[in-house]
Amino acid sequence: MMKAWSCAWAMLLMAGVAGAQQPTPSPKEKAKSDSAKQAEADSIALMKKFADMQSANAQVPAAPAAPTGGMAGPSNPRMLPDFSAVGDLVGDLTKDGSTQGDRSRFGVREVELAVQAVVDPYFRGDVFLGINDTEKISIEQAFLTTTALPYGLQAQIGRFLMPVGKENTTHRHELHTIEYPWIIQRYFSDDGLKGTGASLSKIFSPFGFYQELIVTVVDRFRDRPDSLTASVPANKSLKGLGTSARLRNYVDISQSSNFELSASMVTGMREQPLSGAGAGGLNAVNARQTVAGVDLTYRWKPLQQGLYESFMLQGEFMTQMNGTPDQGAVPPGLTYLGPSRDFSGAYLLARWQLTQRLFVGGRYDTLEDPLSNGARLDAQSVLLEWFPSEFSKLVAEVERYAPPGAPAVTRLLLQASFAIGPHKPHPF
Amino acid sequence: MLDMDPLRTFRAGALLAAVVASTASAQLRVVTSTTDLYDIAQAVGGDKVTASHIGEGYQDPHFIEAKPSFVLQLQRADVWAFVGLDLEIGWMPLLIDGARNPRIAFGGSGYLDVSRAMPVIDIPRGAVDRSLGDVHSLGNPHYWLDPENGRRMARLFLAKFSELDAKNTAAYTANEKAFEDRLGAAEKGWQADLVAIKGKPVVAWHTSWRYFAEYTGMNIVAYMEPKPGVPPSPSHLVTVIRAVKSTGAKVIILEPFYDKKVADFVAKETGATVLVLSPSVGGMPGIVDYLTLMQKDIAQLAAVVR
Repeated sequence: MMKAWSCAWAMLLMAGVAGAQQPTPSPKEKAKSDSAKQAEADSIALMKKFADMQSANAQVPAAPAAPTGGMAGPSNPRMLPDFSAVGDLVGDLTKDGSTQGDRSRFGVREVELAVQAVVDPYFRGDVFLGINDTEKISIEQAFLTTTALPYGLQAQIGRFLMPVGKENTTHRHELHTIEYPWIIQRYFSDDGLKGTGASLSKIFSPFGFYQELIVTVVDRFRDRPDSLTASVPANKSLKGLGTSARLRNYVDISQSSNFELSASMVTGMREQPLSGAGAGGLNAVNARQTVAGVDLTYRWKPLQQGLYESFMLQGEFMTQMNGTPDQGAVPPGLTYLGPSRDFSGAYLLARWQLTQRLFVGGRYDTLEDPLSNGARLDAQSVLLEWFPSEFSKLVAEVERYAPPGAPAVTRLLLQASFAIGPHKPHPF
Repeated sequence: MLDMDPLRTFRAGALLAAVVASTASAQLRVVTSTTDLYDIAQAVGGDKVTASHIGEGYQDPHFIEAKPSFVLQLQRADVWAFVGLDLEIGWMPLLIDGARNPRIAFGGSGYLDVSRAMPVIDIPRGAVDRSLGDVHSLGNPHYWLDPENGRRMARLFLAKFSELDAKNTAAYTANEKAFEDRLGAAEKGWQADLVAIKGKPVVAWHTSWRYFAEYTGMNIVAYMEPKPGVPPSPSHLVTVIRAVKSTGAKVIILEPFYDKKVADFVAKETGATVLVLSPSVGGMPGIVDYLTLMQKDIAQLAAVVR
């Protein structure tokens, strides 16, 4: 063994001398040479370590390999977090005027700044700040995710997109459409449903396919409407907290196709309007609201030609169930004006990939609109998505939108979004 | 007639089940990102490991979907071996986070970044940004298409398996040696093909053939992609056609997951041959292991450029 090592060292020495006699290498050659030397050193160290292990009769396991970020040592020696930004720009060229909340024809809907890093051996941290002209700067999401819980459990603590429904778990700028489906806009908000609290999830597969149960408890269900004030906070009692559960069932049909069938429910107390203002300007009362739904997503993407071909069909059904205030909660002389009935709605979204960068899609929405006491809202849209690269997206969408009690409007929406910063995983 | 005591039968069955279970759990559970890593891990691990892979050989490894079913595969893994150098960055983080398995998470004993044992080429120097396309800032990750790196991969698996399962080190050592012996013998068989390939101009679709070129000596004179990961534009195809004509390149090589019609167009304009080569084990029919991968790719290329 010693002889072999001596020979190896002699050869390395000779190689070094020979190398010293060569003309000065170009930067590219030097980089390659450095990399090769590093690999050679690693390889020799590896074999030496292995030889040492063998000499000890292989009874002592080797020490775990030290994790590194690449050949030349850690890729991030100062352990800086990942910083990234997403710009979400929207245009509205609807013939009879903009349909955006601020009536703008072109606007920056949001800039999202993300700071993400592993915190310690137990947590990863993610912070997403949203900046727009209306809300200025807001905490979109900020949460810790556990990385070391036993039994396959994972917990999140902080503010996050509530795991309710399929589309709601996707950032708005990553949607296949420019806006959330109308059931999400009307039953939650234009920007989806977020919550501040904690979630716990568990993955299991007793039937041989992927199942995940996610339960959450959050400070409250939906934001408090600015104009409404109740005599007690909606979450004064623990029963008033927002709670949700989602059961995901994912099944591979073949290598190329799969579906996910999931069910979700979220419930909590929230302020509902009264007919006037009572003592102290109180104009709301708390009542329970629950949203339950099912969603189904079918995906087809051939493995070999997956760069160029894919298809997705997705549908969600949701029903919003509205309770009434507790007995005696409505002050004398005032009337409860909150919803007194349940509302249901659904959408169906299809998306085809035409080329490596081009997709077409369409969505059909129908729902009982809570803003019009359940009158029907229908919308049909078609869209064209073009991805110049993985990091930019241009979308054109035409939507025929028929709000309750008003003439239908044909909306022409445009979107440009871009991401700068580290490469993020592709959402699935 | 055999007199069966139900209690004894139950005990025997339970004992058998326990033995089977302990045998099964004694095997290292290895999951790899690609079929090449899988094949070499299986060759080194033999019957002491159970191996599986996420990607298929005919699939672009940059764009594998992070399906939840893969999470189940990774949940119980002892070793997660991946190519590294950001090849899997588009999907691996979701799967590793989803698996909630500390053994294979970053820093875990089974987290095996195979690129650590490789001499990496094409490491960009100076400023790097995405105007350069989908450039891998840590270097070119397609290192498995050089048999010398195949050996490095095998040695790395030997070290890792021996570290995690020291009692089977002798078996892993023997398997690894057998793999290197088979590879060495196969290399002797394709030396004449390498002579035919050396110095021949070729066009490649993506930079994935750089290590293969280093090994075989083929001279890549143009890429179908104007920049890594960027689809060919008409103006770039004009440049490629010009390069083919000026260098006399006889072949355009590409992986089975790229759009052959575009390569056919260039071939029609230049008289070159379009050659679909498997980039990985299982990428095409008959590519059943690492040795046949290298052997068939070299043989097919040699047949065209000879």
